[in-house]
Amino acid sequence: MESIITLKNVSKEFKVLNRHEGIKGGFQDLFSRDYKIIKAVNDISMDIMPGEICGYLGPNGAGKSTTIKMMTGVLEPTSGEILVNGRIPYKNRTENAQNIGVVFGQRSQLWWALPLIESFKLLRDIYQIEEKDFKDMMELYESLVDIKELYSKPVRQMSLGQRTLSDILAAFLHNPGVVFLDEPTIGLDVSMKSKIRDLIKALNHEKKTTVILTTHDMGDVDALCKRIVIIDKGIMLYDNSIENLRSFFGAYRTLRLRFAKDASQLTKEALKKQAAELAGDLKNVYPQAKSIGVSAGEEWVDVLLNEDEIALMKVLNHIQETRRIYDVQLKEISTESVIKKIYDKEIE
Amino acid sequence: MKKKVRKYLTLLRVGILEEMQFRLGAVTKLFGNIIYLIIIYFLWKAIFAGAPTEVVNGMTFEDTMIYLVLASALFYTMEMYVTWDMGRRIKSGDIVVDLLRPMGYIKFQVLSLSGNTIVSAVTSLLPTMLIVYLITGGGFALSYNLLFFAAAIMIGTVLNYFINFFVGTICFYTESIWGINIMKEVIVLLLSGASIPLAFFPETLQKVVYYLPFQAIYNTPLKLLIDNSLSVQSRIGMLGGQLFWTVVVGCISYAFFRISVRRITVNGG
Repeated sequence: MESIITLKNVSKEFKVLNRHEGIKGGFQDLFSRDYKIIKAVNDISMDIMPGEICGYLGPNGAGKSTTIKMMTGVLEPTSGEILVNGRIPYKNRTENAQNIGVVFGQRSQLWWALPLIESFKLLRDIYQIEEKDFKDMMELYESLVDIKELYSKPVRQMSLGQRTLSDILAAFLHNPGVVFLDEPTIGLDVSMKSKIRDLIKALNHEKKTTVILTTHDMGDVDALCKRIVIIDKGIMLYDNSIENLRSFFGAYRTLRLRFAKDASQLTKEALKKQAAELAGDLKNVYPQAKSIGVSAGEEWVDVLLNEDEIALMKVLNHIQETRRIYDVQLKEISTESVIKKIYDKEIE
Repeated sequence: MKKKVRKYLTLLRVGILEEMQFRLGAVTKLFGNIIYLIIIYFLWKAIFAGAPTEVVNGMTFEDTMIYLVLASALFYTMEMYVTWDMGRRIKSGDIVVDLLRPMGYIKFQVLSLSGNTIVSAVTSLLPTMLIVYLITGGGFALSYNLLFFAAAIMIGTVLNYFINFFVGTICFYTESIWGINIMKEVIVLLLSGASIPLAFFPETLQKVVYYLPFQAIYNTPLKLLIDNSLSVQSRIGMLGGQLFWTVVVGCISYAFFRISVRRITVNGG
């Protein structure tokens, strides 16, 4: 199959003025030619196939949005090649825009003062959507979410969740080949998040739309993506399926423990203290287990360990000998902790 | 082709719809305008009272008032706040949404904003003209000059847009718009003849002003409406001049925008 998005050795550099401190420094800056080059994206290559939902992950400032902006044609790469729908995005920005949809979680493309249905009709006209296709799409939307009741509501009066939902629908309206979703679930409550995930999944399924999703919410990733690409400081760290990632960490287990009868009474500080004590203890006893990690979760103390280094039962035995355990759970490693490990550069 | 036309008309329509959403805004505009008119009435009354003759620089008090009242109505109609809007959206990074519309940024903006202008023309310019006409008992002719006036407003609106747009583009470099925009407003209001009729300018300045694009925004339409002594030929010439400036400023603004948009760093996440 032909790929729908191709990135080949793409880099993006920004020239930034070296700022000085204070008022005196501010005056210096007015005449300064002291620039430094920041590599926001460094030599990234990937191919995205039609119909994929690809998670594009990385910590804040990793270069995710910069990559998205290059793929949409807003930014021009410093070097390398990008093709989206067979076009070079920054050279044909407006034509490219006809065939992509974009949602930026914190910005809206809807007409703020107007009822939602006016925005949709307007998009129908400016994307030159056939009346029949438009009707079909609206019917599909109405079957997926309760959008009808929002039609007459001006966008400025909508809640963030309603607005995001509407923005996603607007991005799919002209049935584009690719939709870019830049942190679509940011700031939303749990039920809205799941609503939006279901919607994205359904639209991807119905229309075979390729979706590029950036997010910090591992729930989004688990619910939607089969493939993930991880970048940090502009460099690509990982590009493969989630299963592969999980199997890579197959020997990792999370042991969840409670050391108090009523854990809900414990403060965060107390939990943290427990975790820190346990971490020190385990480090002394099992110096060979390098990847062992202890963290304080919601009412639980989590111990993450690699069974290739140390048997889980051994650790549990040791803990039980030294302190009273009220409750225990055993879990597979979560996507969240895997990705955290990658961000923290704990694995090569 | 039909679709293209609909694409453009729909944007005009949305501008009209948007403007009508803000009823209170229209009322405050009207109120602000009335206060402004009271001030200029007394100001110019004092100026004419201090003058030795009834006619100053070829204009009577009544001529001046007709000119200034219509100029202010025209200003409220044609003012678009493009610069503020662009500056704000560049600063917040929201400009990225505008850049991803499936049509050119300039075309998109000009069309959406023209909708607002149409609403203002109907709600503020037309009533003002009617009132002026009734009070002065025919302060301007009701003839083909109205056609020239209408055409000149349309061209002037686009010219005004391009000037605003040029200044807005500067924001890509400065990331701040306040100072530049204030400067632009002062220059445009003064040199376009919107705050003082050009006839009151010193002769050298008048000459300079006629070689600048600003007077084509407000002075040209107003002259075409009020000045009965103009021949049809010179009226067409004035429209031509307006068109000339619109094309020149439009090309410069467009080129400037194209260059600037290539080197942008879109703000925020």
